[in-house]
Amino acid sequence: MSNGVTAYLVRLRHNALPTTLRVIGVAVLLAILLYLPYVLQFRSIFGVRLSNMQLLNIGLSQVNLTLISIIGAVSLNYLTGCAGLVSVGHAAFFALGSMVAAATGMHLKLPFLATLVAAMLAGAMAGVVAGLPSLRVRGLYFVLSTLAIHFIVVFVFAEYQYAFHDVTGVAVGDAKIGSFEIDSGIKWYFFLLPITVLSCLLMRNTLFHREGRAVLAMRDNELAAAAAGIDVRILKLKVFAFSSAFASLAGALQAYYLSNVAAEMYSLNFAIQFIAIIIVGGMGTIGGGVIGAIVWLLLPSILMGAATEVKSGPGDFASFLLAHRPQIVNLIFGSIVALILIFAPHGIAGFLRPLWQRMIGGLPWRGRT
Amino acid sequence: MLSQFIFSGLALGSIYGLVALGFTVIYKATQVFNFAQGMLMVCGAYFAVTASIHLGLPFPLTIAFILVGAGILGIAIYFLLIKPLGGQALLPMIMITIALSIILRAVIELIYGGAPLTLRLPLPSGVFVLGDVRISQLHVTAAVVSWLCMLLFIVFFRRSRAGLLMRATADGYEAAVLSGIRVDRINAAAWAIGTMLAAIGGVFLCQLQLVSVELENIGLLALPAVVIGGLQSVPGAILGGLLVGLIEQLASGYISPKARDIFIYVPLLLILFIRPWGLFGQKELGRV
Repeated sequence: MSNGVTAYLVRLRHNALPTTLRVIGVAVLLAILLYLPYVLQFRSIFGVRLSNMQLLNIGLSQVNLTLISIIGAVSLNYLTGCAGLVSVGHAAFFALGSMVAAATGMHLKLPFLATLVAAMLAGAMAGVVAGLPSLRVRGLYFVLSTLAIHFIVVFVFAEYQYAFHDVTGVAVGDAKIGSFEIDSGIKWYFFLLPITVLSCLLMRNTLFHREGRAVLAMRDNELAAAAAGIDVRILKLKVFAFSSAFASLAGALQAYYLSNVAAEMYSLNFAIQFIAIIIVGGMGTIGGGVIGAIVWLLLPSILMGAATEVKSGPGDFASFLLAHRPQIVNLIFGSIVALILIFAPHGIAGFLRPLWQRMIGGLPWRGRT
Repeated sequence: MLSQFIFSGLALGSIYGLVALGFTVIYKATQVFNFAQGMLMVCGAYFAVTASIHLGLPFPLTIAFILVGAGILGIAIYFLLIKPLGGQALLPMIMITIALSIILRAVIELIYGGAPLTLRLPLPSGVFVLGDVRISQLHVTAAVVSWLCMLLFIVFFRRSRAGLLMRATADGYEAAVLSGIRVDRINAAAWAIGTMLAAIGGVFLCQLQLVSVELENIGLLALPAVVIGGLQSVPGAILGGLLVGLIEQLASGYISPKARDIFIYVPLLLILFIRPWGLFGQKELGRV
């Protein structure tokens, strides 16, 4: 077992706040999560209207897209942060998920939920294939093999798109469960929230079981892990399949949410964005993926809202800011990533972790290990 | 048709080889896998725009401006971003170069606007016909200059004192430090040279196409080029560049421009499976 995990478990027991406080904390968090969509939808809290600025310029659709990205970011963090397999090809599994969801929905007439399962299965299988190079090469060469896989999958996606759909993109069917159609922002929120929470919990909990500890041991020292009787090769493929399945699920959900996806969406930048997310959030922890995705997806609209606000201020500078918002956002993001890499290698989660452990760690329903 | 594709493939491949060579220099010296190499190339093109359009410099001074600008940029990158990270794990080192390319792209778009620009440098631009091959003089110039730069670099690397120090540092970092080599200077010089080589490639590419940040995608073809050639190998980078240029022209000429990426990245995957150290590289030994 990895040293880090033992230390983590020991800290959990000694640092935790009294149980009642922690239960209250979780209840408050749940209440906020449940009330949030109504605040964002009706732009008011308990009947008091809020200005756009007070809501930080955030809308419900950004929150929904963030929920989807959390699944993608956490799955990449599982692969890269927890298992140490650096991949720049994560966009490929997003593309695959949306393609399989669209194809099974259109050609096989599968219902919505079945296409999600199909996307996950396809993602897992493709993950095994994409993980095969990891048996032969490691480090930098493996990163390049994921880059190659990215270009190959995006090419296949483009061919599928041009063959069966038109240039503007692949149209995905409506998200219908039986006769109930998920068509509004609030419905999507309450559909996505449990999926995201369950996916994160599932990935997190595997880390506390035998396989998950083997994964961490493999990351920390592959030879030692192999010597301890772990079949490193099979484990790598398993991790790849597991992570890719969730990435494909996120891709399929995103496709349904946007209702139209094109090959151009899944560029290399799309994949890079997820690496940036886990670096900003913090490598190797589930919370890191969640925090990173929240920061990465909500910060642009907060910045843009701030830029609009500055506009009322004096000078050419404000209009310059406003005219170049995407560039300013990219500049800030690039600088944040560079600064975090240099000054805070554990990401934002590294700061928040002690606090979080006191709040949540060792809850009564969480098995004592 | 075939000879036409082969000719333009080799000419483009020479430019890729130049950019890939810059990449290899940086990788050998600092072990940084530079995803920003494409963007450094774009910077070269925009240095040319600044010197020739904004400052109105004559052509020789434009060239000097590009080289000096690229050199300073490379040194600044090394001291601001690479050195503070100092030999961390693989992913942070890759990600810092990606962050660099995001920042450079944003800065370029802020200064020059996002729209593509046209830049005409006084380089030979005519076409002459040889048999059934149309030979553009720009292609020939690009290839000749690229080969001259490569030759110059190889002579510098093999024969000069600074080149010797560079090879020593690449061979053994700690041994170099212990022998009193100022490793920081050597590494900064490697980044300066790598950036200059990319910038020269960028100047030629922006003559063949419009000046825009989208040139980065072409510059990224240097990555498969170096891996196919062999990461640590100088001749490998050059030949890898030529190979990628040939594949690109043949694939987009005979099959379809969209198929280009496939014909470059599938061989890359095969190379990784069969000969991960590349065609010319040395087999790396695993360390415990």
